[in-house]
Amino acid sequence: ILILQTSCLKSSKSNTIVLSGLSGSGKTILFYQLRDGSSHQGTVTSMDPNNDTFVLHSELERKGKVKPVHVVDVPGHARLKPKLDEFLPRAAGVVFVVDAQDFLSSMQAAAEYLYDILTKATVVKKRIPVLIFCNKTDKVTAHSKEFIKKQLEKEVNKLRESRNAISSADITDEVELGVPGEAFNFSQCQNKVTVAEGAGLTGNVSAVEQFIREHVR
Amino acid sequence: MLEELLIFTRGGLILWSLAGAAAALKGSPIDALVRSFLLEGRSASAGFTHGPHALRWTYDNALGLVFVAVYRRVLHLLYVDDLLVAVRAEFARIYNPRRVSYDEFGERFRQLHLEVEARASRPSSVSAKPGPAASSPGAPQPHGGGGGGGEGEKTADESGKDDSDGEPSRQEKHSPAADGSVNGLEENSHAGHGGLVVKREEEGGPNNGAFNLENIKKKDKKPRPGRDKKPVPKDKKPSEQKLDYSNPADHGGGAGEQTAVNQGKSMMDKDEAVRSTAKDGWFSSMFRSIAGSNAELKESDLQPALKSLKDRLMTKNVAEEIAEKLCESVAASLLGKKLGSFTRISSSVQTAMEEALVRILTPRRSIDVLRDIHAAKDRGAPYVIVFVGVNGVGKSTNLAKVAYWLLQHDVSVTLAACDTFRSGAVEQLRTHARRLQIPIFEKGYERDPAVVAKGAIQEATRNKSDVVLVDTAGRMQDNEPLMRALSKLINLNNPDLVLFVGEALVGNDAVDQLTKFSQKLTDLSTAPTARSIDGILLTKFDTIDDKVGAALSMVYVSGAPVMFVGCGQSYTDLKKLNVKSIVNTLLE
Repeated sequence: ILILQTSCLKSSKSNTIVLSGLSGSGKTILFYQLRDGSSHQGTVTSMDPNNDTFVLHSELERKGKVKPVHVVDVPGHARLKPKLDEFLPRAAGVVFVVDAQDFLSSMQAAAEYLYDILTKATVVKKRIPVLIFCNKTDKVTAHSKEFIKKQLEKEVNKLRESRNAISSADITDEVELGVPGEAFNFSQCQNKVTVAEGAGLTGNVSAVEQFIREHVR
Repeated sequence: MLEELLIFTRGGLILWSLAGAAAALKGSPIDALVRSFLLEGRSASAGFTHGPHALRWTYDNALGLVFVAVYRRVLHLLYVDDLLVAVRAEFARIYNPRRVSYDEFGERFRQLHLEVEARASRPSSVSAKPGPAASSPGAPQPHGGGGGGGEGEKTADESGKDDSDGEPSRQEKHSPAADGSVNGLEENSHAGHGGLVVKREEEGGPNNGAFNLENIKKKDKKPRPGRDKKPVPKDKKPSEQKLDYSNPADHGGGAGEQTAVNQGKSMMDKDEAVRSTAKDGWFSSMFRSIAGSNAELKESDLQPALKSLKDRLMTKNVAEEIAEKLCESVAASLLGKKLGSFTRISSSVQTAMEEALVRILTPRRSIDVLRDIHAAKDRGAPYVIVFVGVNGVGKSTNLAKVAYWLLQHDVSVTLAACDTFRSGAVEQLRTHARRLQIPIFEKGYERDPAVVAKGAIQEATRNKSDVVLVDTAGRMQDNEPLMRALSKLINLNNPDLVLFVGEALVGNDAVDQLTKFSQKLTDLSTAPTARSIDGILLTKFDTIDDKVGAALSMVYVSGAPVMFVGCGQSYTDLKKLNVKSIVNTLLE
């Protein structure tokens, strides 16, 4: 259920974290791990965003004042991409979830999605930090985060050259990425881009929680 | 018998599962269901088959839940719809947004299952199901006051098309989505569940209603008679020269050539600014969350709003059955929803329809042709694009425009003249090739297009050309031998992109064209994964003002994205489809 949030725009520091990534990468599981500490009975492809404000499950036992976090899990299905634009402007951070196990077949699509996020005007202007979370590392055939990082950089570099701004929703919103003439790597982005790994199903999500605590103060 | 019954939220969390987490269904039909049906706006029809399984589902729009039942396709379980409806009612009682596990529901479910099974196996004479009545093809159904009458009429119509031999066949009618028979759930709900909400809106039909559909000027393409293959006269050479009044300076290649045509930047690279529709203000959205929710939406509330919306879509040249299906699926998603007290029904219907349209028109996969071309270049093979379509839609013209655009992005192009039927087709392409200064592979007329294409691709590989654009002859969708020839071409050459060229002027015929084309291509395909239409090129867009509905019909029917839009007759008149502006125009 979409809980309609009337976001108080008075506070300058937002506490919204957006979970994005391709369909099937594990965002909804991650969402429920962060909130309840368990993945319950499993998930199916999401049709609507999951939207909730809560205190991170692992922080529930902490004494003292713990600030609740507003986490939004945006469906990864290509047809629901416009939904991302609703939540991105208010984000304090973006977690881009990548399926480390099934990486090679979805590499191009993942890079394209990531490229779209990194070139949105709001992301660049507000320097919204991005965490690339390599999910499903509990599986034996999962790739390492270094490999994924390098591959994504290569793909984004290719996109930079051949980019034709096909995504028709908001074409005028794009920004140039990286340094022209040099191969792209994430340190060239104006906003901070980091890579981490973990596994949603087993509960190994500490990297994400760290990221959240760092950027939601 | 029932393999699985799943209850999940629209956000994707599974709330309860019959089979339990242990039994993972082979092939994950649920995900396939969500991706191919529910997200494509086809949620009005209630059945779906995936491999050996058949699925049926229902929504609870007020709570945002989906109930899906999965069973083996060969077993025709008649009680599934009843069961789903009963489960929905029961679950709504115990549902709590904060709770995530509902284990005690298992017991209750077992009871419900037994009840419903018993009811179904009882002789149906008691409940006077319209089911057996519907089985008699073409039998006139009494027009009741409720949706049941409308449903009967619709089934009678549909049974003209497919043979319905009783209820079991209904599950088998789910062939390509566009032809899927629209079975509402209320046909079964009539049996003993009179009180439940009737899902489908009343089939107003062309008979009653103030808006007489015959008066709508449909831009129908007149069905052209099948083309006979006339033998081309053998002595065409002399007549060619006689009719050739072109400037001697334009003749022939070689030295003294004019420089390549440069008409400036193709419109593909120009961005369009879109005005956004008025979104809900912060004020009204705040009020909506504060004020208590009022009555839930019922069938009768949605009726008038949906009817006017459907008529509006049809005046914008959307095919009639597409408009119908869209309105039904919007109705299905809104039934039972609670409205805030400050929102009108028509505005929520409008928003739902807008969302559905954006979702349908947004491409399902990347349509970045340039990137695919670069990937193919790395592989060392040329990227092959085949242009198919009926007669006279603008294939050759738009092929030249695409070539011009590619040239501007430093991609080397070769043309392949595989239209070996129409007089002047090869010369036309030759002229374009000369003006754009690109090589053309042609073998004249009366050759097998599949072989010509193969030769062209080999030539292009030899010359290290990046892209091969293959022009084919126009053909009507029900011309069997020509469709066979086309699929032979595609099977033999395995192109990277099959582009269906359709004109924006077409009306209801768009549905027929696209279904038949993609069906024929899929049926006659010899590859393990059937090749079908990969993308749509919409032409003559500048001639239609605001009647942009053909784009919607085509995308809905085929699921393929619109990759290019032709908006004029010169080289630069090619642009991208702007989803937001189309949706705005459709709903104006």
